[in-house]
Amino acid sequence: MPRRDTVGRATAAGPGGRGSTVRRYARRGVRMSVDAIEHLVGGLGTAILALAAVVMLVLVALASVVGIGLPMVPSAAKAVRLAANRERARLSRWDRDLPLPPPVPTGLRGVLHDPWVRREAAFVAAHGTVGFGLGVLGLSLPISAVQNLLFPLYYWVLPPEAGGPGFIDWRIDGFPDALVVGLIGVGWLAATVALGPTMARLQALPGRRLLAPPRDVDTSLRIAELTATRAAALDAHAVELRRIERSLHDGAQNRLVAVTVLLGAARRAMVRDPARAVEILDRAHDSAELALAELRSVVRSILPPVLDDRGLAAALDGLAAGCGVPCTVQVDVAGRCAASVESTAYFVVAEALTNVARHSSAASAAVTVHRSGDRLHVSVVDDGRGGASDGSGSGIGGIRRRVEAHDGRFTLTSPPGGPTTLLVELPCGS
Amino acid sequence: MRIVIAEDDALLREGLALLLRAEALDVVATTDSPTTFLAAVDEFRPDVAIVDVRMPPTHTNEGIVAAVEARRRRPDLAVLVLSAYVEQAFATDLLAGGAVRLGYLLKERVGRVEEFLAALHRVADGGTAIDPEVVGQLFARSRPDSDLSRLSARERDVLALMAEGLGNTAIAQRLFVTDGAVHKHIRSIFAKLGLAPDDRADRRVTAVLRYLEDAQRRS
Repeated sequence: MPRRDTVGRATAAGPGGRGSTVRRYARRGVRMSVDAIEHLVGGLGTAILALAAVVMLVLVALASVVGIGLPMVPSAAKAVRLAANRERARLSRWDRDLPLPPPVPTGLRGVLHDPWVRREAAFVAAHGTVGFGLGVLGLSLPISAVQNLLFPLYYWVLPPEAGGPGFIDWRIDGFPDALVVGLIGVGWLAATVALGPTMARLQALPGRRLLAPPRDVDTSLRIAELTATRAAALDAHAVELRRIERSLHDGAQNRLVAVTVLLGAARRAMVRDPARAVEILDRAHDSAELALAELRSVVRSILPPVLDDRGLAAALDGLAAGCGVPCTVQVDVAGRCAASVESTAYFVVAEALTNVARHSSAASAAVTVHRSGDRLHVSVVDDGRGGASDGSGSGIGGIRRRVEAHDGRFTLTSPPGGPTTLLVELPCGS
Repeated sequence: MRIVIAEDDALLREGLALLLRAEALDVVATTDSPTTFLAAVDEFRPDVAIVDVRMPPTHTNEGIVAAVEARRRRPDLAVLVLSAYVEQAFATDLLAGGAVRLGYLLKERVGRVEEFLAALHRVADGGTAIDPEVVGQLFARSRPDSDLSRLSARERDVLALMAEGLGNTAIAQRLFVTDGAVHKHIRSIFAKLGLAPDDRADRRVTAVLRYLEDAQRRS
């Protein structure tokens, strides 16, 4: 995939590979443990909310037995929903996106029959107990590890009969005893590294199972989402087709009509004034060449073949190499975006660099492309004389139209004297 | 003949003006938008206006709207509309007020200078010039069971030339037949289409177009 890093990382397979392999494993272990602790702590937060919801559920249930609790059921369901949504948000940030459910039904009957609420009640019961326990354990393991590991450093300030941290209540007589406590700390550390990730996964399990939309609901939500994005895509497509139609009719076709008009005029002039006819033929020739140039630019703007062959990064490199002004390109895009998005990005850079070369008198230009979330950010900066605007026939209008067709954002900052910064943001659609 | 041109494409505008001036026609103004065009019509009192359909701001049908408005202000103004492509709706809008002193041609016809000049003069003299493409498209769209499909190939040729606004003699010259043969074809066409026979040029075109519009509505 065209993610391009300038820093090489091909060391693992080379000579001395063993040492670097160990280092890599160690780094990976540390990273996974830290992630696990982070997840467990986050899970503990939502588990406390879930526990509160469980307490409320139990109270409402008890009150309902004697008949006074029933009106409180909807509020209890809302408390459950609150805890559940916190967990949904946490899990969505972690990896899988969990969509939010429709609002809690208002009536008592609606609440009791709602599939979402029932699953959420089961979730708070599991997460508020087991999840809570796992969170506490997950937090205390690394804390104990740190306490025990540090104990040999400070045991001497404590009286020997005070014992060590945690459950260690035997006498600590001198450094060897303290070292034993420190070794127990190594055990805690090992347990943290070995068990942390599993515990974090276990803790997230009820949420993943019970907070995902019920199967049939999942499908209909997905369909709604797909319908919306598809409609937007079709809109963008229609706008794009209109743009192409317009550039063909008002560009190349008008040039060709001019050719026929001039040819007709030349033929008529041939008899009366051959010198004049030659002059008119020259103009017809120019107009035909213009038509060809415009056809080329229309075709290039639809889908540059180089994109398909070599990907966005290489295609932009090619553009920069052909630019009359020295130009650096930095592309940091993992994976590929939709073809229409890539071709728009390519078009934007191509037009912008043409402008830089033609109008800016810049000494250098820089193109950067990166993706954050589902947005592709493109920037073209030059150190030229600035003063670029929409109306100066510079192709900026074309860039704007093209970007707007994709529901993207376009900003141009070009004060007189420069520098000129062109920023484009495009939704990636994937 | 005093002419005003409304065409937003600079090269094409200059090309047209060059062509017409070389033919010793009096191009009194060239304009690039509907507003400047209407102002020029008021100011220069031209005999003929040559108008492009697609003009700013939206590049859709501004030219048609401007032409209709110019005719409303100056009913005796001859208007020749040029279009990059044939759109039946444009022709219908344009012809709603009658086909006299009106033309609707594809842009590239301008290159056939003799025919273009003939159409221009015809329109200026109170006639009509409808592009063969308009008629051709309607033939293509008409259903196989329509009256139109009962015309012979030669009769269709004659109908298309009639729609262009040509008179019997001109049609005879184009098709290399005698005046009498053309007359016979026309009678036959009117009979097959169920129209009252009439030899006057504008009436004929109006009739043809009315029939074609009708055929389009039904299909």
